[in-house]
Amino acid sequence: MIFSLLKIGIHLFILRPFVKFLLGINIFAQENIFHLNRFIIIANHNSHLDILLLFHCLPLKQIPLTHPVAAEEYFSKSKILFSLVNYLFSPIWVTRGAFDSQRDFLLKINQQIERGHNIIIFPEGTRGSPGEILSFKSAIGKIAERYREIPVVPIFLSGPERSFPKSTFIPIPFWNNVLIGPPQIFHESSREITLHLKEILLELSQNEVIAQKKRRRRTTTRPWSIAVLGIDGSGKSTLSRELSKVLSVDRSVALMTDTLQMYKEQQLTPTQPLVPEHIREMLGRYSKQATSLAFYKIPKLTELLLRDYLLRDITRWYRADIVVFDGSPVLNLTAWAILYKEELFNQSVCIKAIKILTADDNDIARNDQIYTDFPELSALKKMKLTHLTLPDLVIFIDVDPATALARIQKRGETTQVHETNEKLAKLRNAYQQVFQVIRSDFKVPTLMLNGELTPDELKSSSLDFIQTTVGKGINHE
Amino acid sequence: MIGVFSILLLVAFLRRHKTLHSILPSSLNYTWVFFLLFVVQEISSFSVAAWGWGILCFIILREYFSLVDLRIQDRLGILAAYLSIPFMMHFIRTDWYTMFIITIPVYSFLVIPFLISLTDSKSEGAVYSIGVIDFGLLLFVFCTGHLAYLSLYSSWIAGTLILNIALCDAVSLFVEKRNSSVLKSTMLKYLIAIPFTVFLSYLMIDWTKIPVLHSVVLGLLTPALALIGTHTIKYFETDLGIHQVDMRPGRGFIIDSVKSVVYVSPIIFHYIRYFLL
Repeated sequence: MIFSLLKIGIHLFILRPFVKFLLGINIFAQENIFHLNRFIIIANHNSHLDILLLFHCLPLKQIPLTHPVAAEEYFSKSKILFSLVNYLFSPIWVTRGAFDSQRDFLLKINQQIERGHNIIIFPEGTRGSPGEILSFKSAIGKIAERYREIPVVPIFLSGPERSFPKSTFIPIPFWNNVLIGPPQIFHESSREITLHLKEILLELSQNEVIAQKKRRRRTTTRPWSIAVLGIDGSGKSTLSRELSKVLSVDRSVALMTDTLQMYKEQQLTPTQPLVPEHIREMLGRYSKQATSLAFYKIPKLTELLLRDYLLRDITRWYRADIVVFDGSPVLNLTAWAILYKEELFNQSVCIKAIKILTADDNDIARNDQIYTDFPELSALKKMKLTHLTLPDLVIFIDVDPATALARIQKRGETTQVHETNEKLAKLRNAYQQVFQVIRSDFKVPTLMLNGELTPDELKSSSLDFIQTTVGKGINHE
Repeated sequence: MIGVFSILLLVAFLRRHKTLHSILPSSLNYTWVFFLLFVVQEISSFSVAAWGWGILCFIILREYFSLVDLRIQDRLGILAAYLSIPFMMHFIRTDWYTMFIITIPVYSFLVIPFLISLTDSKSEGAVYSIGVIDFGLLLFVFCTGHLAYLSLYSSWIAGTLILNIALCDAVSLFVEKRNSSVLKSTMLKYLIAIPFTVFLSYLMIDWTKIPVLHSVVLGLLTPALALIGTHTIKYFETDLGIHQVDMRPGRGFIIDSVKSVVYVSPIIFHYIRYFLL
């Protein structure tokens, strides 16, 4: 008697204030349990706080008469904890996984019920993941079937999975909600009772708005990327600009050429300054002034890497729907290898290089010959710079080097180190091989255009290609 | 002070009744709590009342954290947010203004992201979580801390402010019941509240010791700030899942009751500190 009173006193003056004032508890429909003398409580189980919360809902006189089911192997890790829990809650200890454990467990429960006591069962058997209700063990059905006269009270708990989740050591104050369902009397078979109880608990969980509240997250989508390839003088810059303008009728388009440009409603719009963009422009100017391929290589490589890096900034800051690349970083890097190691350049090398540069190289051995032949790839990989983006669409303008050279000279600008008939021919060959690889091995939609066509014809064919490939995603005039 | 507290306690009790519920503003639910703290301060000392202020900050913050959706791995950051309350109260109690003013906006602001970064390597959603925790800490703890600091200077000034805010809320509720355009309603809320707040501020001069001119200015300023505060917090109340129906502690009752106070207090505190101290 004294022990029972002392237990009630501890619950009343220590445990309940702890739950009420430190954690916070809202009990809904407490009347569903207050008038009952006999009951079996079932609840979802996410935390060790569950028992505290359930005892908080009980009438004081029921505290010494109620026994939760608890895992012995967990609480017996600490003798003090075991003794404390044993005294305060008088649990029915169950050893999970032990031989004959279910028979013993049912026997213990039967003993307590037949003594006129009440029990608390977590039918999931273990603490589940927050917000999830696991399948119910069959024991609850068997108990409810055997003691049909005793009402089963379903209770849904939300909050303890945040206050004191699995694998944590300190409870953090959060409000907890205890939703007590109406008492249930069953006349079905044990299996049906188990299923029915789970349905009731799920229904209670649906009612618990806070438990259902989902995290709102702002999602960013990667813009469509269209790459226009071709040797210098092929007209790719003009085509890129024209495409950007036309595509920007009802969406924002970023054009990545020598400078980064944003188009909206066919107008060039100002962009906020980006540091990588300034560095890229500077490197672009420097590489154009290079007097040899050796001096050209590093600044151009860096400029192309920055061009790809800027794609992330465009997504983040400008929220462009489409990015038009005047030359693709990954494809240009691959094609330009021909200028340095022509004898080693072939389609197989192209495939490997693109795979390495796009970090899709699981099937390429670390000691593969390509890393010896092209140490730049190895260096980029070591520096973790091989996460370049493969464009979604590729348009290649194929033009005769002589025509291209004539156009370059017509512009009146200083010719770059690679702008000779011989080197442009090599580059043309390289782009053709890259184009084949992209189409056949990487299944990227591609379009090859004759560079001799007029700018309007090039634009019209490209827009048709974009329209048919992307379909409803992109419309043009 | 005890008289005012008793009246407010009675009003809060009466507000539970359905008929008075729609007439009296929600801020009256918690006005008596502030006056209880002022009474404690008057009877004993601010050091004793500081415990109450700390508990009040904790209760408001706990409700906020219960409403927002944070990740399991943010627990250490949340714990740090709770633990910053005793530090803030200590600096208020010792009248250490410079530390009070930087504890939460600087130290907690820096510590919380660091602690969150320690708990889990997955950074997805971390910026959101840090923002949510910092926002709650600044609005519900730091701003309430300003009111506590104001009461350290004078519980009568703080009390007058609380009463003025309650008056503004009562006027707002009264005007809202009459259908009119948003602009007209806002103007009416402000203009009708002014005579009451100016008069109350003037009436309390003997206790607050604020010069007449400044009392009038505070009487003019408070309704405007209360309007802005109510509007702002109402705006994100919906996002927090706070609905006027089924309002109870843990589900928005506390935040809804203190919304005007947390917004107005810092500005009035700095006004008084700048011009009058």
